[in-house]
Amino acid sequence: MEPEPDHTKPSTSATAAGHRKHLAMLERLSKRAAAAAPAPSQDSPVAAFLSRFAAAKLAAESALSACRSSPDDAQLSLSAAAAAIDDLDRLVAEASHSLPPYELRSALAAASDLRAAHRLAASDLRPKKSFSFRNKSKAPKNPPQDPPPTLPPPPDQPNPSVEAILPGLGFRGRRDATLVKDLRVSDGKDGDFTLADLVSCQVYLKGKCRALHVHKLKDCRVFVGAVFGSVLIEDVERCAFVMAAHQIRIHKATATDFYLRVRSRPIIEDCCGVRFAPHALKYEGIGEDLRDAGLEEETGNWANVDDFKWLRAVQSPNWCLVPEEERLQTIDISDVQEREDDN
Amino acid sequence: MGLLSIIRKIKRKEKEMRILMVGLDNSGKTTIVLKINGEDTGVISPTLGFNIKTIKYHKYSLNIWDIGGQKTIRSYWRNYFEQTDGLVWVVDSSDIRRLDDCRAELHNLLKEERLAGASLLVFANKQDIQGALKPSEIAKVFSAT
Repeated sequence: MEPEPDHTKPSTSATAAGHRKHLAMLERLSKRAAAAAPAPSQDSPVAAFLSRFAAAKLAAESALSACRSSPDDAQLSLSAAAAAIDDLDRLVAEASHSLPPYELRSALAAASDLRAAHRLAASDLRPKKSFSFRNKSKAPKNPPQDPPPTLPPPPDQPNPSVEAILPGLGFRGRRDATLVKDLRVSDGKDGDFTLADLVSCQVYLKGKCRALHVHKLKDCRVFVGAVFGSVLIEDVERCAFVMAAHQIRIHKATATDFYLRVRSRPIIEDCCGVRFAPHALKYEGIGEDLRDAGLEEETGNWANVDDFKWLRAVQSPNWCLVPEEERLQTIDISDVQEREDDN
Repeated sequence: MGLLSIIRKIKRKEKEMRILMVGLDNSGKTTIVLKINGEDTGVISPTLGFNIKTIKYHKYSLNIWDIGGQKTIRSYWRNYFEQTDGLVWVVDSSDIRRLDDCRAELHNLLKEERLAGASLLVFANKQDIQGALKPSEIAKVFSAT
């Protein structure tokens, strides 16, 4: 064994080892290729979008910061930033179909933030430019500036209370009152009903209406028979609503409970601390009203709330169900007579 | 043969129209589309995202994009502007309180370059509700800027 000529063996073993090594390498390579191949195809649209978006975002941010740090080239970096932001918009638009809603929203928010920053930088630059035109020697000095004066937020659309101009069925501008309306006795045509600017009121609406608009209520309790169209609730605080309707949209509600029967999914937007429970209202003839309005069936949709400010799979922090032990008992408003009294 | 089929294909494409339905939430966009298409309008949830319906009308095939109108998702409207032939702006004629919002959103939309070639229809919906504004009144509000 020992006297084996050692000039062949090392060489054969060397080639064998080399061969083995080569094979192992090939195998490794093919494995890597195999591992690499499916990965991008699995989550490629989203991952690719995110990486491209991050790159474009970085470009925009650095261009924006460049126009702060080197004011001489500001105009140039500003247009570079604009181009990068346009890129962002285009990327988002292209990917909008394949992106999950949350990614889409945060991407859009990032793009619009950048656009706002760009607008700010641009408005910052403009006065300097005209300044340099008049007095060339002073221009390059560029006095150290405080953080750019933030643009005043666009003035809110003046919202004159149009309801005041255009009376219609409804209760408006009341405080500490009990407001009762029986829509069954009022004259025929399907109308809408408005509740606006009420504070600490009890509102009882018996019968059916076609649409209900609710705006600016505080500390009120509202009981409504049947709405065979849609309900739009905006800007309510510390209230309780008991109603049945085909559609319900709730905007800007805080600390308010909703006892609903609704044919479609109720939605909330810009709400917090709102709670939901099943419908709990009774009066003589409510069965008929609900049936006529196509609302006799309990769909269970009162609990299927969509929060447009929380487009994720996990439960929104803005709403919850009213715990069973805290729920109102079914309320019987048969005896409430039509009136419009101050308490 | 090859050329002919290409021409035919282009011809067919020309008969395809892309119609965008937009407007504030609660204006009735989805209801209109389903109603025109002869579908049940009994249970419609506020639109989260969009719906597409293709409706055949004579030789035209109308691709109707019904886009959700809630405030939070209005910023996505612009993702749908490309290649739009017709814009339907749906107004809840009974929602007088938000008519200013409605006008402002429409005017924003009309500034959009990508919609420059599209025809605009303002749909004064919910005329059957008592107290709704007439189409002429809405036109007056919208044209006064």
